[in-house]
This record gives sequence, C-alpha cells and structure tokens, in this order.
Amino acid sequence: MRVEFDAERCVGHGRCYALAPELFDADDHGHALLLGGAAGDIADRCEDAVRAAVANCPEGALVIAEPITEP
Amino acid sequence: MTDTAQEVYPESRSANPYSREVAADPIPFYDRLRAECPVANMLGMEAGTHIISRYDDVKFALRHPEIFSSDLVAVDIGQDRPLIPLQVDPPAHAKYRRVLDPQLGPREIAHLEPEIRAIATATIDRFIERGACDFHEEFSVSFPCTVFLAMTGLPLEDLDQLLRWKDNIIRPGTMDMEKDAEIRKTTGAAMYAYFEKAIDARAAEPTDDILSRFQRAEIDGQVMSREEMLDVCYLFILGGLDTVTSTLDCSIAYLAQHPNRRAPIVADLNTVPAAVEELLRLHTPVMQVLRVVAQPYEMHGVSMQPGDHVVVMLGSADTDPDEFGVDAGEFTLDRETNRHLAFGGGPHRCLGSHLARLELRVAMEEVHRRLPDYAVVEGAELVYSPGIREIERLPLVFTPAERERP
Repeated sequence: MRVEFDAERCVGHGRCYALAPELFDADDHGHALLLGGAAGDIADRCEDAVRAAVANCPEGALVIAEPITEP
Repeated sequence: MTDTAQEVYPESRSANPYSREVAADPIPFYDRLRAECPVANMLGMEAGTHIISRYDDVKFALRHPEIFSSDLVAVDIGQDRPLIPLQVDPPAHAKYRRVLDPQLGPREIAHLEPEIRAIATATIDRFIERGACDFHEEFSVSFPCTVFLAMTGLPLEDLDQLLRWKDNIIRPGTMDMEKDAEIRKTTGAAMYAYFEKAIDARAAEPTDDILSRFQRAEIDGQVMSREEMLDVCYLFILGGLDTVTSTLDCSIAYLAQHPNRRAPIVADLNTVPAAVEELLRLHTPVMQVLRVVAQPYEMHGVSMQPGDHVVVMLGSADTDPDEFGVDAGEFTLDRETNRHLAFGGGPHRCLGSHLARLELRVAMEEVHRRLPDYAVVEGAELVYSPGIREIERLPLVFTPAERERP
C-alpha cells in the first residue's frame, strides 16, 4: 500500500498527522508532510492509521494507491 | 422548546438562522433546511442572500473563492479595510498566509502547552473550592482570553476593554441595523487606535510576543505596513477571543446534560482529542461564514448573481447525514470518519485552528480531571447567541476540590 499526497489541495486541517503521526508530520505552516514510509510501501502494522488519516482529510488531498504488482 | 424546523419556510424558499431558538437547538433546523430548501433566502430580506446548507455545496463554496469570494468589505464590522487574511482572496491571500501560518502553526504552538496548561489550572483554581461557577464567564471567556493576552504581550488589565470591543463588534445587539453599524464604527476606531499604540511600543522596543514577530515577518522581502499590521490585529481580536469561548460553552453544556457521553471521556482522558473533534462537528460553534458571489453561478436551480451574499452554513454541513451517516445528529466518540468543516475549509480555513485545538484539548483534560461530575444548576435556562454560539450564563455545580496552586 502507498499513499499519494496532493500538496496543492492541502490547506492544513491537520487530521492526518493527528491520526497517523508515524506517517505524517506538520510543516511550519501546518500543512502535511509525508514521512518516508508513506510514499513508499507501508508496513501492514500502520494500515489502520493510514486508512483513518486518508478517510479524515476534508480536502481529499490523500489517496491510497494500491501497490503496483510486477507482472 | 420551540421546534426550530419551523424556522424554515420552503413555500417562500426562505429561512431564519439567526434566532436564539435555532442557536440553542440548530439540528432540526439544519435537517429541514438541507432536505427541503438547500438554497434559501434569508427570511425578511430581498432576494440576493443565499443560505447554503448541504455538505457538498458548503465544501464546494469554501474551495472556490473565485466564485464565492471572501472579499467582504461590503459586510460592515466596523473595519476601514479588508481584514487580513480573512477578507483577501487568492492570490494575494497566499502571501499573507505564508507569513502568518508559521506563527500559529502546530510546531510553534506546541511550545505553548505548558503555559496554556498553567493558565487553565489557575483559572479552575479560582472557583474549584466553591463547588459552583458560571462556566461561561469564569472559564470559557477567561481562559482563551488570558492565553491571547499572554501570546500578544498585551497587559492583563486591558482584558475587559478588549472583551467589550469584541462583543460590540460581534453582537452589538441593539436590534437596529443603523445603531449596530454606528457602535461597530466607533468600536473599530478605538481598536485601531489601541493597536497603533501597541505596534508603536513594539517598534520602539521589540519583544518576543506574536505581535512583534508579525512586525518582523517579511512578505516578498518587505515587512508588513502599518495598515496591514492593524488589519491583522483587528481580525485577531475577533478570531482569538470569541470562537474558543463558544466552543467551550457548547461542549461543556452538552456534556453536562449528557453524563453518559461524558463518562468515557472522564474514564480515559486519551479520548479527549476525538471528543474535541466530535464536539466541534456536532455543535459547530461558528454556525456560518459569509461569502459574496463573484461570478454568476447556479445551484439547485437558483441563480446567484455577482454581489449576492452567501451564508455558508458550516453547522448544517457538519450534521449532514449524506456525509456523516444516519447518526450525524448524535455524539459518537469513536466516529471513524469525521471530515468536519467547523474550521471552514479551502484557502481561508481557520488560521488559529492549531491554537484552538490545543486550548480545547488542555481545557477538556483539566476540566474532566478536576471537576468530572459537573452539572447544570437545576432550572437554569441556557440562552445561546445566534451566529457564534456563546451561552450567556452557564451555571454549573460540582463536588468542590482543592486548589492546585497556592
């Protein structure tokens, strides 16, 4: 599982870094920063927190992208 | 209690959101508004004022300032110029937010937690031995205002003055539009003069408070002008002194009257952040924000023309079952998805939200730790103010306890 983050849409609601601090942080402006693990493959143990963060973004700035499976 | 759904008039496509009854119990009003009249006129006003209430419509309006502009100089709140950054639209808006956001960003704000907690402790100490208080006056007003003064470096003895000004602007309450405008204008002039002095003092002797830091902050290599500073300060008073007060009033009144909802919070203070979000959603203390139509737009068959005013009903969006499900009107502590718009959304989303959330979390933790059995005094009638939902008096009783500071 990967998360895609659209920085253009983010206006700093701050729900993602409240709900999944392992994977998101706030920048100085309060907008989201994707930590290393979120852009790449995410360990399964974080999956619930990530899904919560994505579901709770009022701007739709986060999308779960399923991993691309090699043919 | 009056059935507030009566304040929606689908036959004339109008509604009256600004009654005390609606402010006290808005959900039946919102429910009927969304279902029967998604674009309504303000009752008693000529055409040209549109109340929008469905989650998707509200979210769309917040995200499209090119259609629903915040350039609201036409709305008289005693200001001489647009308030910065609220009444400035993109792209100019972004340059102010770039400077202001970091001063109130979550990282900057996090340092304030010990000081904010000490203020909460001292505030509760003033009434906890009594076993009774007017929570509105003695906590909801006092706590955020003391935090505000500490942050801005303004003297504590100016508090009453600032509160009077804030109330004069937000709810002058003469029931006469001309008189209200006059009060706002006089108050506005006094506020500008007050902040002129505060800015002068900091220019002469820079300090570390937020006003000094605004003064030093650069936009495109330039510091803000005197006028720009004043326009930020004006908004600061209105935003900083009223909204946390109303959120605390609404939240504590609700939990006082619903002890079964309070019990899990008292039992586990780790639930406070979720409780704060759910209370913000369910009670949305700032019921609406205003926009002005900038280009022709049609919504649910209603034509909106440039210059029309739009009442964007945040509270109604936040209780829309299409977004929040069948239990949208209920307090659900473990709600899985809560994309509430209590702080607005889009580019103008509340600049002070990170500070507000910190104040609310600390307040809720301290109140539920120290006076967990509070109840509304029997027979007390709670009077809510429309627009921004403060409660005039919130008399509580609880088991008295010791002060925590000498």
